[in-house]
Amino acid sequence: MGKSHEKLLNNLEGLRKGAGLTQQELSESAEVSRKSINAIENGVYVPSTVLALKIARTLNCSVEGLFRLP
Amino acid sequence: MTFFKRFLVLFISGAIQVFFATYLLLELLGLSLGWHLAYHNIMFVPGILIFLGSGYLTVSYYFFSDEKANNSLYDEFTAVRYYKLGAAGYAINGIGIFILYSIQDWSNWNFELANNMIYQIAAFAWLVFGVLMVWFSMGDYKESKSG
Repeated sequence: MGKSHEKLLNNLEGLRKGAGLTQQELSESAEVSRKSINAIENGVYVPSTVLALKIARTLNCSVEGLFRLP
Repeated sequence: MTFFKRFLVLFISGAIQVFFATYLLLELLGLSLGWHLAYHNIMFVPGILIFLGSGYLTVSYYFFSDEKANNSLYDEFTAVRYYKLGAAGYAINGIGIFILYSIQDWSNWNFELANNMIYQIAAFAWLVFGVLMVWFSMGDYKESKSG
């Protein structure tokens, strides 16, 4: 797991890089700003359910594969 | 609409508000800088800028921006930034109003002093609003540079 929020651990950066996507490309696919993706990756921000599902869909994985509770 | 354009709109509107609100607050607190605005109708400028700026942002959202840009400019993380700044504004205003209450001359309280205090509170709230706009705009500036 990468950098984590106190309420949520995430592996977004690793999965994104594994899919060969930049933050900008992922943000466009998930319909948010690049800043949002950056904030999630750095554990600054916990995304909404809808955004988590959009990211998971883009990366072709499950939400549980992206995030887990500490 | 881009992050940089929104930065410009918010920063210019906010910075001009900070200038006028600071000037007004210092005057009301008797801490004059030693110079005065010669033409007082210029105090309408910040309000006009807010009116034009908010109109421009609204019109650009509905008519001059595509869905991709709007998704990026008005996403949930931006909303969280906005809420956090709003909460900070409430806290700063609360502290400021407490201080303004504390420094009043309550032993010689009269209608003129009460009137002056109301103006002080209004000027302080106006100053905080301007500071928050500048603060918010800095996030847009950073995003415009790194995006």
